[in-house]
Amino acid sequence: MMDMDAVQEEINRDRRAFISKVFQGTIAGSLLLVIPAGAMDLAGIPEQIPGMRAETGPFITRRKFAFVVDITRCIGCGSCCVADRNEYQVPEGNYRTWVERYIIDDHDNVYVDSPDGGLDGYQEPRTDIPYPVRDTFFVPKLCNMCEKPSCVQVCPVGATFQTEDGFVLIDQKRCVACGYCVQACPYSVRFINPVTRTADKCTWCYHRVRKGLLPACVNVCPVQARKFGDLNDRESEVYKILHLPHVVSVLKPGMGNKPSLHYVGLRREVV
Amino acid sequence: MSPEHGATVAEALTRYIFPNDLHVHWSLMIVLYPYITGIVAGAFIVSSLYHVFHIRALKPISRYSLIFALAFLACATLPLLNHLGHPERALNMMLTPSPTSAMAGFGYIYSAYGIVLSLEILFIYRPTLVALKKEATDVMSAVYTVLTIGSDNLSPRALALDRKVIAFLAGIGIPMACTLHGYVGFIFGGVKANPLWATPLMPVIFLLSACVSGIAGIILSYVLIKKFAGESVDMECIRTCIKFLWGFFILDFVFEMLELFSHAYMATHHWHTLRELLWGPLFGSYWIAQVGIFSVIPFFMLGWLSLFRLSDATVRIWGAVASFMILVQVLLMRWNVVIGGQLMSKSERGVTYYHPGWFEKEGILPSIIIMLLPLVILYVLSRIFPLWQTEDTAAGEESAG
Amino acid sequence: MQPDYRSKYNTHLIRIIVTLVVLAAVGIVVRAMVLPESFGRYGHYRADAIQDEINRPIRNGTNASCLVCHPYIRKMHLEGVHRTVSCEFCHGPVADHVQDGRVIALLPKKQGAQIRTLCLRCHNRIIRARPRESIKMISMPQHLEEKHVRTDHVCNQCHNVHAPLMWVRQAREIVGVGEDKS
Repeated sequence: MMDMDAVQEEINRDRRAFISKVFQGTIAGSLLLVIPAGAMDLAGIPEQIPGMRAETGPFITRRKFAFVVDITRCIGCGSCCVADRNEYQVPEGNYRTWVERYIIDDHDNVYVDSPDGGLDGYQEPRTDIPYPVRDTFFVPKLCNMCEKPSCVQVCPVGATFQTEDGFVLIDQKRCVACGYCVQACPYSVRFINPVTRTADKCTWCYHRVRKGLLPACVNVCPVQARKFGDLNDRESEVYKILHLPHVVSVLKPGMGNKPSLHYVGLRREVV
Repeated sequence: MSPEHGATVAEALTRYIFPNDLHVHWSLMIVLYPYITGIVAGAFIVSSLYHVFHIRALKPISRYSLIFALAFLACATLPLLNHLGHPERALNMMLTPSPTSAMAGFGYIYSAYGIVLSLEILFIYRPTLVALKKEATDVMSAVYTVLTIGSDNLSPRALALDRKVIAFLAGIGIPMACTLHGYVGFIFGGVKANPLWATPLMPVIFLLSACVSGIAGIILSYVLIKKFAGESVDMECIRTCIKFLWGFFILDFVFEMLELFSHAYMATHHWHTLRELLWGPLFGSYWIAQVGIFSVIPFFMLGWLSLFRLSDATVRIWGAVASFMILVQVLLMRWNVVIGGQLMSKSERGVTYYHPGWFEKEGILPSIIIMLLPLVILYVLSRIFPLWQTEDTAAGEESAG
Repeated sequence: MQPDYRSKYNTHLIRIIVTLVVLAAVGIVVRAMVLPESFGRYGHYRADAIQDEINRPIRNGTNASCLVCHPYIRKMHLEGVHRTVSCEFCHGPVADHVQDGRVIALLPKKQGAQIRTLCLRCHNRIIRARPRESIKMISMPQHLEEKHVRTDHVCNQCHNVHAPLMWVRQAREIVGVGEDKS
């Protein structure tokens, strides 16, 4: 937690001096910065996952990451979609992540929509539902990071692969965009990026995680519907969710892909 | 929970496709690729029926079908290269083919089969080419020198060696032709995420429809080429081809219908999505066109042509018509499988649409060009390799294979 | 009588076999030259691709990174009920604003009706499906009518966007009414 008095003191000084001191590292002991001055590539962003920047090997070894989505909390604001699109400059019409709205009427009909993937949030209610509505909820979707990914199985050139730390990534320099992985993914999280002309998908922000930052969507969620944490840490929220009696499910378990993305409060109407 | 077809307003409202499912990635190009390799495999099977199974009646087209197969094989990579986002990296498939990917087999299967087919043509044609070289001008003489591998030896010993090689090539050519098209079937059959594609029958259906398209292509082109050349066709050959076409088509149609019938009967988890597809956007192209018009009608036409004693002109004309209809059926089948499979969203709640444009990169006009190109190549090849045998060449090849 | 042939009976076959073998050998050599060096190190993929992904530029910061230069607003934000809202959700990613420690452009600030749209993305009760436990919801224009405010007002005329209840609470203190429990 931030020491507000210390912060207040800093703020009371001349702002320019403050900034130059920060960047010169004279406020080294401050809680404001955890990285040494000069590491400007991260533009002064403190680590959210401690110790990640110290890992120099090819794979993450000290942590076992888990991603959990809590349906009971999602408000469909679309902050995650906005953050994701900003992070990767995803072309229009393609989605690395999206949020779906489910509406169930009292005749058990299920109405699902996702206007532009939820990028603009949900501005309008649905007016085309003939019967009274009995239940509604939002479901964020992203790459399930399967333990047995069908996309890796079918890639003909080894352009998509699974690392030893369980992340499924895409080699942008080898992909020929044959589209086989897009067909094989049961969750439709992959697409062919028209700008790079290669396959693309959510990577659980691997490049951020390796630098000690949370995935962009997790970072911005205002209600903690998306959770990302380390299963080696028994105090972490994801550990508790996955090991204590919460009801946790995955999408399309019958496919055999063994997704690593777990949902809390997943409803039977969700595919 | 799924709405019935043609039911109330509720059906329209429950339609939902995943945001990434709106776009159909495998376009007309991917419809054409199995169509072309299917014709190649089928034409090769026709030739093998003579060279391996010694069905004498097919001798007149035994050489032609190989050249026909080669002309189409030469164009098989075009739709794929046109489709890739990075065609300049296409050789990655041969550099680092993934052992778990059916598609990775493409580079080596295609190359190996191309070599086998080309070699079989060169060996079968060698006596003819040596004779043609003697009368050829400078350019053609050089061409024939290369094609005869610089050898002019036509001694009995050489010809006996040739016969052994031809037998070997034709023999391994059959499983290789089956692999060339069977693996394409498995590319689709192995995609568990797609309820239309994921079936063990997919390689079988693809292979049978390949044979069917190849035989039909041979019949139709044989009749047309001879007509334009003002020569007569060998009716025994045509009648035999028609019987084989009917036989293969019966198997093909039975498997296609069996597949669908099993799905409908068992009505497992994904049946409602399939039903929404087949009775929705695919109703016209599948039930009316592929099955109703272009399967049922040729089925009976071919039966009539095979079982009844009919005049030569009747068999020739209606055989060509039936063959044309079969060619359309196979193209429709490729369309319905490739495009149809992608129209279903993986949300299991809706279908998208696909309307290729005329002038798109992977649209209708490029498709027409790609389908006409093999005919142009066939013409060029016919100037080098005489399509039809004369008496001399026929004698030399009497017990070949 | 056998005519004399220039080639032996098996010349053509030998030449074909030799050509195929040479082609195969050339293929193997070319593959070794062209194959990326790190391919296959950990599996059937180019190991350097992992580093390529790690080197992807980071575009979104965190709220803490905005603190470095905007401590005044940040303090307000941290103490308010919007502390879990990302600065970059409303203003855009920090990579569009700061590069190599220097400001390259100013990020947009929403104005007028844009603010109302943005607030309603989260707080609109008319969009069902929002769990009441997660977030306070209102519907427009009822909310304005209830508060006896002109219905052409936008949200930030009463609510500081960085700390939405700050002015509301200050106003209540001034007027002397208690906390609104609704």
